[in-house]
Amino acid sequence: MKTKMTAAAKRRLVKSVLLHAGLLLFAAGCVYPLLRILSVSLRPGDKLVSTDLSLIPAGATLLSYSKLLGDTMFLRWLWNSLLITLATSFIGVSLASTAAYAFSRFRFPGKKAGMILLLSSQMIPAGMLILPLFLMIMKLKLMNTYLGMIIAYSVSSLPFSIWILKGYYDTIPRSLEEAALVDGTSQVGAFWRIILPLSTPALSIAFLFNFTTAWNEYLVARVVLFSSKQYTWTLGLFELQGQYITQWGMFAAGSMLVTIPVLCVFLYSSKWLISGLTLGSVKG
Amino acid sequence: MNVLTSVAEVSWFILLVAAGVAALVGYLYSHFKFYARSWFFPVVLAVFPALALAVSGGLLGGYTLKLWLYFAVAEAVIAAFFRYAVKGRHTVPYLLLAPAFAGLALLLVYPFVFEIYLSFHDLKLTTIMMWKNTGELPFVGLDQFVKVFTTSPLSETTFWELLLRTLVWTFSNVFFHVLGGFILALMLNNQIRFKGLYRTLLVIPWAMPQVVAVLAMRGEFHFTNGFVNIAITKLIDKLPFLAALGLAPVQWLSDYPLLTCTLINIWLGIPFMMVVILGGLQSISSSYYDAADIDGASYFQKLRFITLPLVRPVMMPAVTLGTVWTFNNINVIYLVTGQAGGTEQADILVSALYKAAFTYNRYSYSAAFALVVFAMLFFFSVFYLKSFDAAKDER
Repeated sequence: MKTKMTAAAKRRLVKSVLLHAGLLLFAAGCVYPLLRILSVSLRPGDKLVSTDLSLIPAGATLLSYSKLLGDTMFLRWLWNSLLITLATSFIGVSLASTAAYAFSRFRFPGKKAGMILLLSSQMIPAGMLILPLFLMIMKLKLMNTYLGMIIAYSVSSLPFSIWILKGYYDTIPRSLEEAALVDGTSQVGAFWRIILPLSTPALSIAFLFNFTTAWNEYLVARVVLFSSKQYTWTLGLFELQGQYITQWGMFAAGSMLVTIPVLCVFLYSSKWLISGLTLGSVKG
Repeated sequence: MNVLTSVAEVSWFILLVAAGVAALVGYLYSHFKFYARSWFFPVVLAVFPALALAVSGGLLGGYTLKLWLYFAVAEAVIAAFFRYAVKGRHTVPYLLLAPAFAGLALLLVYPFVFEIYLSFHDLKLTTIMMWKNTGELPFVGLDQFVKVFTTSPLSETTFWELLLRTLVWTFSNVFFHVLGGFILALMLNNQIRFKGLYRTLLVIPWAMPQVVAVLAMRGEFHFTNGFVNIAITKLIDKLPFLAALGLAPVQWLSDYPLLTCTLINIWLGIPFMMVVILGGLQSISSSYYDAADIDGASYFQKLRFITLPLVRPVMMPAVTLGTVWTFNNINVIYLVTGQAGGTEQADILVSALYKAAFTYNRYSYSAAFALVVFAMLFFFSVFYLKSFDAAKDER
């Protein structure tokens, strides 16, 4: 059976083919570097430095992974990062959850000034505060320790966390708390028993944001930590990538091990993160 | 064993923070609650300065009368403030806010003030031991600020070169972020199959840990083993006439470091803009386009008169944020060029600032430098937000 396409249908087909081609091209550009790391991490030791572009190399092995886990302190670096990151996220989210509640539910003098202070703190160049924090940590004799890192990180995501949580609390109807207040709970009790349990999605997003920020941080760690036992994984990978081309395989293996969980978490949480980022704009 | 001690160390610290928060809240609560009692002044003056002296004495090792006097005066002022000005109003919100703002004051405001102090003094490698032991530094007035404009923060590049480079870097990055993000968002905002899959793949550069992404991309610009040069070589093999036109593998990292950093950062930054703009596009009601179709508007007319104006309010804050982020981006440049023997041809203001402080140990100089950079950014933001507000009023 011969069907004649109308001009409009033809145009639609051409458009869709072009769209798919364009999107595929861009998507390839986004994914290819990641696939290249994967490919390098699977290369056998004698072919690490090759100009081969195939994705699954000939004679693929997991040797780089076992070398990375056996010969370097990679697991230790991951552990250091994990401890520092969990502690900072915990402190950050706890402080943010109550502060955001105050901003969401109460009217008090200085409310607007407080919100502006939070927003404008985002304008301070990150690089600018590293120096005074470094000197403070030195003075407290906390160089090269977990505690120094936790102190340096703990408030860096606080303004953003407060901002996200306030936005979420604003969407919870006040009538819920009012009912609890009538039943004789205190304001703090209502926050603890009603608002916090209802806000688990927003709390976990704030936690994830704190977590990824601290997890991926490099510049502060560079100046505070100096013995390789205390390194976070970012410092460790930089060392592996920097020094010898022979460690390229281990760098790639480490990158894969760190990237995959982070990617999963990000893709899972991106929807909420983005709504947090654009909240101010949509409302403004 | 090692694992246990590290967990114990961190848990102990968290408990310490919790104790600090509890102490702060308890202290404020007592002032909010009992401000009107007749015994308020004598009790707080007896209790809190003594407690503060005990804690600070335990930390610093010295219980002097002078210190107690300071605490007592401070406590008297605070108590009077609570009694005659605050009068127990707004107890709950202030108590809820206190821990977070105490944290911000200690780790954001205090460092900022300390930076100002540093910029008027002279802290460098030769005076740092003295500062560590005595806490005192020579006062030099505005010298550091003069030096910012007259000497190089690194070994050769001057402030003005860095400023120019920063402007070029910021402008070209943000321009391509917005352009690329806009094109991709327009493409995604169609009825096509696998939309979710494309969207996921396209945000990967943003989702990857930045350190991994930058280091991996840096590897791709390597002279012999990087993808870019291999691709160029293969292209020349296939199409020899390109070589005659002057196409050849390039020493990206040593000859064109700034271009390399810019390419890497454009790659990193497009997904954020894409996602924000896509959100804006999806919030535009289709009735506008239907109406335009009836009037026979062309694709570009719809883009110009419907899409752009309606996406603008969503895009402007993202562009502002993106500009500030790009201006402040140390990560990309430091990770690409920061190693021993790295070039300074790619440094912008903030990365030069970082290197001046931590590679060349010129602390006070870089504090002054940081304040100059901050002032520039501050005026940009104020000016920019003002003009944005004005534009909003027009609508």
